[in-house]
Amino acid sequence: MSQLDDLKSAIKDRLGELECVIGWEQGYDALHATPLFIRTEADLDRLVIGPLAVHNLATYLTAYKGKKIGVVVKGCDSRSVIELVNENLVNRDDIVVFGLCCDGVVSQPKIRAALPADPGFVESVTIGTDELKITVAGQTVTLKKSDVLADKCRVCQHPNAIIADVLIGTKQNPAGANSLACQEEFEAKSDAEKLAFWQETMSRCIRCYACRNACPMCVCRDYCIATSRDPLWLSQDNSPAENMMFQMVHVSHLAGRCTECGECERACPVDIPLMLLRRYMNKQVKDVFEHQAGTALDQTPPLFTFKVEEERIHERGW
Amino acid sequence: MERYITKQNLTRLAEDLAKTCRVLAPVSSCGSVTFRRFQPGMTMDLHSRMAAVSPKAATFPQTETLLVVKRDATEKKPELVETLPQGKSVVIGCRPCGARGKLIFNPVYETDKIKDPYFISRRDNTVFISLACDRPETTCFCHSVGSGPADTAGSDILLTLVGDGYVARSVTPAGDEIMKLALFEDAGDKGKEADAKNAEARELMGEAHDYTSAPAKLLARFDDMDFWQAQSAKCISCGACTYMCPTCYCFNITDDDLGLNSRRIRTWDNCMSHTFTLEGSGHNPRSTKAHRLKNRVGHKFSYYPDLHKGVIACCGCGRCIKQCPAGVDIRQIVNAAQEYSE
Amino acid sequence: MNANPYLPDMATIVEVIQETHNIKTFRVVLNNEQRMKDFTFRPGQVGQLSVFGVGESTFVINSSPTRKDYLQFSVMRVGEVTTRLHQLQPGDQIGVRAPLGNSFPLEDLKGKNIVFVGGGIGMAPLRTLFVYMLDNRKDFGDITLLYGARSPADLTYKAELPEWTSRKDVNVVLTIDNPAEGWEHKVGLIPNVLLEINPSPANTVAITCGPPIMIKFTLQALKKLGFADENIITTLEKRMKCGVGICGRCNIGTKYVCIDGPVFTYAQLKELPSEL
Repeated sequence: MSQLDDLKSAIKDRLGELECVIGWEQGYDALHATPLFIRTEADLDRLVIGPLAVHNLATYLTAYKGKKIGVVVKGCDSRSVIELVNENLVNRDDIVVFGLCCDGVVSQPKIRAALPADPGFVESVTIGTDELKITVAGQTVTLKKSDVLADKCRVCQHPNAIIADVLIGTKQNPAGANSLACQEEFEAKSDAEKLAFWQETMSRCIRCYACRNACPMCVCRDYCIATSRDPLWLSQDNSPAENMMFQMVHVSHLAGRCTECGECERACPVDIPLMLLRRYMNKQVKDVFEHQAGTALDQTPPLFTFKVEEERIHERGW
Repeated sequence: MERYITKQNLTRLAEDLAKTCRVLAPVSSCGSVTFRRFQPGMTMDLHSRMAAVSPKAATFPQTETLLVVKRDATEKKPELVETLPQGKSVVIGCRPCGARGKLIFNPVYETDKIKDPYFISRRDNTVFISLACDRPETTCFCHSVGSGPADTAGSDILLTLVGDGYVARSVTPAGDEIMKLALFEDAGDKGKEADAKNAEARELMGEAHDYTSAPAKLLARFDDMDFWQAQSAKCISCGACTYMCPTCYCFNITDDDLGLNSRRIRTWDNCMSHTFTLEGSGHNPRSTKAHRLKNRVGHKFSYYPDLHKGVIACCGCGRCIKQCPAGVDIRQIVNAAQEYSE
Repeated sequence: MNANPYLPDMATIVEVIQETHNIKTFRVVLNNEQRMKDFTFRPGQVGQLSVFGVGESTFVINSSPTRKDYLQFSVMRVGEVTTRLHQLQPGDQIGVRAPLGNSFPLEDLKGKNIVFVGGGIGMAPLRTLFVYMLDNRKDFGDITLLYGARSPADLTYKAELPEWTSRKDVNVVLTIDNPAEGWEHKVGLIPNVLLEINPSPANTVAITCGPPIMIKFTLQALKKLGFADENIITTLEKRMKCGVGICGRCNIGTKYVCIDGPVFTYAQLKELPSEL
C-alpha cells in the first residue's frame, strides 16, 4: 500500500471518535494543495499528501481546544504540535497525531522562478519521486524536486514526525546540510546593508498579518499588540519602520518558541523573507539556552522560566 | 483614439510622466511584483506576473492623513489642518480588473449627501493605463462578474500587446491627452490584431458563472452558522484577501500623538480582523472567523449588489484566492451558497 | 457637518457633570459662533467627539434641539477615548463631528402617547427626545418615562430627576434593581416594573434604550402588553469610525447603523439579518 493509502486507512480507523481530521486536498489548481477538514469517510477520497502539502496544520489546533481532533503532520509540523502541548495551549490527549515521514515540500516562489510562464497558467502537474512535471501555458517542463525544495527542507533535521500516534511511511534521513547560503549571506552583511535591506523589503509589507495568523505559535491573534490601542506600541501607519517594528515584536514573542516551520514566510503575499529573522533568533536561543523548540515533550521554553545564574549569560562578567 | 507604442517608448513615457506626476508601475523585487513609485532607471515588470497587490493604493493609499492638529505650546486652542491630497498620478501596467476596482468605491465614496474628498481627489487626478490580459490564470473570473480580460471600465487607456509594443486605445479625454504625445505612433492595421488577441483571451476564459442568484442565496444562509463554519474552517482570519483586493474599501481611522501635534490617519482595515467590529463594551457582533467571512462574502456578493444596482463588489482578479495562505476560494463559497438545497 | 465629512469642528467644553462613578456629561460649544448658531439636529442623532492624538468615539447628542446654548453628550468611561475625555476640564478643546445618523420619527410620534423605557446610560438617547417633548408638550399625548438603574448612584441626570418627577404633565417612574436606603421610588427590574405600570398600547409608541439584556426582556414585556413591532423604537450601538456610511464596519446586512440608524423600529430590526 502507498503512504497515502496507509494514511487513509489509519484515519478511517480513528475518524469515528474525532470531531474531524485535518489533512490536505487539491486546491484551486493542480499546483496547490489546501487544508481539508475530514468529517466523513467520503471526505477521505479527497485527501492528498506530498510535496504540495505545504501547510502546517498544527496552526488550526488551538481553535479546537476541548474537542478531540486528528491532525496530519510532517516532521516539521510535529514540532509545532509538541510546542503547543508543552505550552499547555492544547491537550495532548485530545489530539490524534497522524505523523508522516516526509521527503520535503516545495517552495512556490522557487517553482515560479523555474517555470517558463506564470504558475497561474498551470494546466497539469505530475508528481514523480524526484521530479515534478508541470505544464504551464502550453509548455511542459520537468523540475527536479531538489531544485524547488523549500529552504526548511534543505536543512531539515526532523523529516519524520517526532510525535505520532500513527507514523506513516518509510523513515527518511535528516538533511546533510545544516546551514543555508541565503542565511549566511544575510548575516554577513554590515549593519548598514541590513538596514537598507529591511527598509526596501519592509516597504512592500502591507501589514495583512498573514505571517502572524499562519504561525502555529502566534496564539494572541485577536488580541495582538499590533492593533492594540492600549497599550499603544504601533501606529497603523504603513511605513517600513512600523512594519519592521511589528516583525521585531513578532520574532521576539517567538523566542524559544519558534519551531521553524516557515509558515510566516510562506504565507507572506509579497514574499518577505521573514525566516531570516526567525533563524537568527533561533540560533541565539540554541546557543544561549541549548534549546530547540518542539523537539521533545516536556521541554520548558527558556523564556517561560529562569535560572538565577544562566550558564551562558555572563551578566556579571561584563 | 487608437495608436501604437513600442515597449521602449512605454518606458520613456513612464520616465517622462515621472517628471511631473507620481507614476505607479509594477516593479519586481526579490520575486515579488508590486506597484511602486516609478523613477527613471527602474524597470517596469508588466508581463512576468500580475502584481501581488492591486493598484488600489493609487486612489486609496494604505495610509491617508486626514488631518493634522497643530498645537503651539503657548496657545491653548489647537489649529486643525485639512490635508487633502495634491498632484497627479498615473498608473501604468495594471490589469483591467485592477483599474475597474475603484469603480466599486464610487457609489459609496460619493453620494448625494456625502463626498469623500480624499478619494474623489485621487480618483479624478489619476490616469490608469491598463494592459489587457492575454490569457486567464486559474484564479481569474473577471468574466463572471461583468468584466473581461480587455475591459475598459475604469481605465483611461487600454494597451494590448501586439508585436514588440502595444496597441493603445483611449477611453477617456485624459487618455486622449496622453496619446497625443509623440511617443505614440500610428497603429496602422495592428488594431485588428489587438481585437483578435482580446477575443482569444476572452475565449480562453470559457463560460461565465452566473451570480444572479447569489445575493438572495447568501442571505438565505445568514443564520446557518454550520454552513459558515464549514466554509471558514481553513481560513486563518488574516487580512491578505482584503488588502490584495482592488475593491475592498473599508478603513480604520486612528490618531497618532506626535507630542504637541497629532495627526489623524485612515488606514486599510479588514473585516477579517477581530477588532474591526469590537465594541467598547467588549461585545463583538462578529466574534468568530465564520461571522467575519460571512460578512466579507456577503458584502461583496449580496449586500453591495442589493444596494448598488446588482453590481458585484468584486472584479474577479483572483488575488484573494491565490494569495490566501490557506487557499480559501471565494468562488467555491458563493457557489456552495447558490447550490445549497435545504 | 463640514463639506469634508472627516473634518471636525473645534469645540470648547463649557461644563462637565459627574453623573455616576463612570459616566460624565459634557456640555460643549462649537468655537465658530456662526456654526454654533446655525447648528441644527433632530433628537436621536449622534456626534463623534475627538480627543486629538487619541481618537474619536460616537455619542448621542442628548441635549434637545429646543435648547441651543450647548450640545450635551454623556460618556461612559470604557475605553481609550472615553478615558481621555473623562480627564478633560471646562475650557479644554475637543473636536465635534455632528449631526450624524437618522433620528426619532418626530412626525409619526405627534399626537401619540409615548412610553419611554430607559436603563443606565441608555437614558441618554431618550433624554434628548424626552426634553424635546417637554418643550413641545401639546404635540404629544400621555408621556410615561420609566427609567431604571442598578442603584440610585447609577442613575444619570440626577439633577433633573426631581423636576421631572414633580411635573404633573408627565408620569415619571424610577426604579432600581435592589432596595436601597432612602429610596422612595420603585424597586425591581425594568421589564417587571414596565408590566406593573401596564401602559396601554392603544395609540402609543414605546421607545427603549439600555443594555442588551434589558432590551431583550423589555421587548418581551412590550409584546406581552400588546405593542405592535412598528410601535416599538430602539437605538442601536455599533463600533463606528467614519460615521458617514463608508468605512464599512457598522453594517447589519445592507443597513449601516451610522446612516440608516441608530434609530430603528422593532419591525425594521426583525427585517434585518440577525447580527446585533
